Amino acid sequence: MTARGFLRHETILALLVLVALFVLDRQSDRFLTVDNLFNQGRLMTEVGLIAIVMTFVIVTGGIDLSVGSILGMTAILIGVFWKNMGLPLPAAIGMGLVVGAFAGFVNGVIITRFKVPPLIATLGTLALYRGIAEGVSEARSVRGYPEWFFVLGQGELWGAPTQLWIFAAVAIVAAVVLAYTTFGRTTYAVGSNEVAARFSGLGVDGAKIAIYSASGLAAAIAAAIFVSRVSTTRSDMGTGIELDAITAVVLGGTSIFGGRGTIIGTLLGLVLIQSLKNGLSLAGVKSDGTVVLIGAVLILTILISNLVHRDATR
Amino acid sequence: MTVPAPRARRSSVARFVAAYGQEIVIACALIALFIVVSAINPRFLGANNVNTIVSGNAYIAVAAIGMSMIIITGHIDVSVGALIGVLATISGTLAVSGYPVWVAWTAPIFIGAAINGGVGALVAYGRLPSIVVTLGMLSILRGGLVSSTGGAWINDLPPAFQIAQARWFGAPAPIWFMVILTVLAFLWMKNTAFGRSLYAIGGNAEAARAAGIPVERRTVQVFMIHGAFAGIATMLFATQLRVIQSTVPPNLELTIITASVIGGVSILGGTGTVIGSTLAAVLFAAIGSAMIFVNVSAYWLRAVIGLLILVTVLADMARRNREFWSNQR
Amino acid sequence: MTALVRLQGVSKSFAGIRVLRDVDFDVQPGEVHALLGENGAGKSTLIKIIAGTHAPDSGVIRVGDVEMRAITPREAAKGGIATVYQELLLFPDLTAAENIFLGHAPKTGLGTLDWNQMRRRARELLDSLDSHDLDVDVKVGALSVANRQRIEIAKALSQNARVLIMDEPTAALADADVRRLMIVIKRLRERGVGIIYVSHKLPEIFEIADRVTVLRDGALIGTLPIAEVTEQTLVTMMVGREIDHLFPKPEPNFGATVLRVSNLGLGDRVRDISFELRRGEILGLAGLVGSGRTELALILFGITPATSGVIELDGRPVTITSPRQAKTLGIAYVPEDRGLQGLVRPMTVAQNNSMAALSHVARGVFLDLRAEAAKAAAAIRQLGIRARGPDQIVAQLSGGNQQKVVLGKWLETAPRILIMDEPTRGIDVGAKAEIHALMGRLAQQGLAILMISSELPEVLGMSDRVLVMHGGRLVATIDRADATPSTVGAAMAAASHAGEAA
Repeated sequence: MTARGFLRHETILALLVLVALFVLDRQSDRFLTVDNLFNQGRLMTEVGLIAIVMTFVIVTGGIDLSVGSILGMTAILIGVFWKNMGLPLPAAIGMGLVVGAFAGFVNGVIITRFKVPPLIATLGTLALYRGIAEGVSEARSVRGYPEWFFVLGQGELWGAPTQLWIFAAVAIVAAVVLAYTTFGRTTYAVGSNEVAARFSGLGVDGAKIAIYSASGLAAAIAAAIFVSRVSTTRSDMGTGIELDAITAVVLGGTSIFGGRGTIIGTLLGLVLIQSLKNGLSLAGVKSDGTVVLIGAVLILTILISNLVHRDATR
Repeated sequence: MTVPAPRARRSSVARFVAAYGQEIVIACALIALFIVVSAINPRFLGANNVNTIVSGNAYIAVAAIGMSMIIITGHIDVSVGALIGVLATISGTLAVSGYPVWVAWTAPIFIGAAINGGVGALVAYGRLPSIVVTLGMLSILRGGLVSSTGGAWINDLPPAFQIAQARWFGAPAPIWFMVILTVLAFLWMKNTAFGRSLYAIGGNAEAARAAGIPVERRTVQVFMIHGAFAGIATMLFATQLRVIQSTVPPNLELTIITASVIGGVSILGGTGTVIGSTLAAVLFAAIGSAMIFVNVSAYWLRAVIGLLILVTVLADMARRNREFWSNQR
Repeated sequence: MTALVRLQGVSKSFAGIRVLRDVDFDVQPGEVHALLGENGAGKSTLIKIIAGTHAPDSGVIRVGDVEMRAITPREAAKGGIATVYQELLLFPDLTAAENIFLGHAPKTGLGTLDWNQMRRRARELLDSLDSHDLDVDVKVGALSVANRQRIEIAKALSQNARVLIMDEPTAALADADVRRLMIVIKRLRERGVGIIYVSHKLPEIFEIADRVTVLRDGALIGTLPIAEVTEQTLVTMMVGREIDHLFPKPEPNFGATVLRVSNLGLGDRVRDISFELRRGEILGLAGLVGSGRTELALILFGITPATSGVIELDGRPVTITSPRQAKTLGIAYVPEDRGLQGLVRPMTVAQNNSMAALSHVARGVFLDLRAEAAKAAAAIRQLGIRARGPDQIVAQLSGGNQQKVVLGKWLETAPRILIMDEPTRGIDVGAKAEIHALMGRLAQQGLAILMISSELPEVLGMSDRVLVMHGGRLVATIDRADATPSTVGAAMAAASHAGEAA
């Protein structure tokens, strides 16, 4: 697993992104405009935040299916804390973030302490957290948020959409942490050989719990942004977002078996998906046709990358 | 059962309990649920209600049979919900375009098998993890469904198409389908070389190959069988109402996977039976209905199921850990 | 008599590297043919060609009277060739009977499996292997390694195997099980089965083999009747040079007691263990597999914390509840299972080398990749690791060099106590001697070493004192001067009789 091995998939993907951008630009003169790109950035932020932390999760060999439910639950709770319990909105959001991180922490504890496979553990909490959202909200939505709150999801800061700054900050921190810190190294070691990592005296369980908690926190941040962007809270928010995030991560070259993957790859995966969605719709393809294409691109990219890798290793 | 030479051996009862522990637990939970809820509200046990509970969810149990086979073989399929949606639309379109109803019923079975055969080929020969391929398929099928129907519902289905509402020998047809298919699939998986090879591949693919099992071909075949079961599930799902919506219940694939897993199919492959997954599917449906009968808000249904999953899994892990330690001596 | 299998002039390359060149090999009915060689000599490739998993590049293979270029697994099975692998290829969730008959189960008239016949025939096969106590309905995952191996052999016999390939069959067996296996092998030989026996353990080969073939660097060095060779000649054939100092142990230089263990216990697996370990001392820990040796090591390393007793470091009592804590206390553990517990195989030498001491190659939380590479380069030099450089992936190294990487990883933590569990298992003779020399040097520098080993010569050659365990208890402590094969062996044997009931 040298730097070259890491880069190979990302290089293929970067070329693919460039080709896509070039082709899409030829289809519509509205595609490569600052306004359009910023707008796409807005739409990408929620799944992007989740995908970035999901990269850590998958690099450890785990998976987190509950993020969409955590998003829904947090969104509902922010609304409830604010409207029904009368907390000031910033405090409600703060408590929402705490709840999200705690929900992730619970995932981490179930996975490390009780040795439940992550797929099963988060399948259970997917139902549980979504169930809490549904039970608490009873299918009622919360509206009427104060105007200043919409800055987060609909406004701009220093000339760019507010949430893009949050996204950029999270992405940079995550990229540095994964590539250049002892925590990142531990993450890779856990994913490549968890037993050996434990036998090397690395804090395996602690790292995993931290990562799942961060995953819950990312989903909660995404929830706040989501609520601000669409001006309302509903219990079905974020349904299926876990699969979109996993798609971006896997498309970005992170091995579903763990031990391999980068934040850059995930970002490229996100950009490719979003530009296909947007560019094709500008070119007149229906958005559902785009979803088909994304599925096909996912399978083909991994297939090609697999073939290249096999040639390289044998 | 003639075995020579007397030696310490477990009784056949103990063997049965050891082999079907999870199935027994689910069956007991189901019985306990019926006893408790009918004590609170006797109408729960009415034949009508039981029929409704089971027949409305039989399609989940049927789809979970195929899913259990996939998971036992060591794979996973997160696209089956979208597949059922696509197949339902195909089936309904055929039915309203004047094809005989049996064509509309059986076409999904063959198309499901063909589509999943392709998935299986990518997994077996392309050496892609099944979760990646089916994640891609999820997008493809979901997008394909909406873009081909434009979100429109199919109305005016011919009455003869409504097989899910038929009653045979006093019971709704879906129950017959569910029970017969479960028993057949169980016997097939227990008593044929093909069925056993699925357990072998899921338990240790390398060893299966060394034992002469054509692992790749079996993988494609089990995906095709799973697709066929999705087709049968479609038949039961699409004929429930007079209309076919262009959507399936959200997270349908996860519900189906959950039924398999709660039913005792190990996500790591190699163990479990379809009896367990069917019982689990029935249990979910019964819990949903029970909540109404004991006046708990239905909005909490999902939370209860989530808790149930976690409790079952934690109990299972605790049991396994105990077995693990007792084997160390 | 015609050979069951005969290979002539067989060669094989992987990625341009010759792993077998022009090798002749044959197995006669009713003989045990031992296959010897250092790791990487080409033994596994040879048996994989016979088993049908690899196709040779050139050469001729004869199975009975049929001549072919290569065997497929199916043809191998049809020709009666079966393999008992080092990593047993069984299905943990299926029963013993089903494992034996998987792929060729008896069927009823309807084409479904005949479970009754399957169980009956499994019973007969296991009885013929003297395994009357093995339940055919038990899940294989619940069985011991020795019992799983019997299942594997029964599986081979159920296919009417005439050639049985056994790859390191005794590597993970306790002595008593090894003796039972020898009896089974002799019985199979009497039935006319030809056995290809791969092992590193010379005494076994002298006990059981009729002929022996030695490979070195992919070339055939010779095939000789066992009566015409001695241990010395075999070793010379394997390594191509005389090994004069197999156990080069410098004079010990003991310091203060670093570790004192009193009445240590863990459930009924480790009971009432007390001993002391001094600076500069190599303390050997002998005993059968399953006697609690590794369990004791895992307690000291914090993987499975003790349930009773006291551990004192430098006279101060400590409780050790995690490997992380053990590491901080200066305890290092070179584990038994290198590939699983010791190394992250897809990572590089440098990354593995720093794995236990990440803080030594980091500034704050950030990794200093240059410092990491420098440390790895130094380790490669000092430990004589044969690698292209710090960036080479560990999985590509030979077993001996991988073991040195594990050792290097722990030396980076500057430990005061080094626990080595089977330090030279499965590695070739040359690397073995290097590791032994290294252990001697480390002890001389003041490191306290606790060495667990199943190889009596290693225990006797390296230890300053020998502890013998059985049934979770410490049954003897023998000084170097008094430690001979007979005294240590007697301690283990006496204990094994006394502890039979346990």
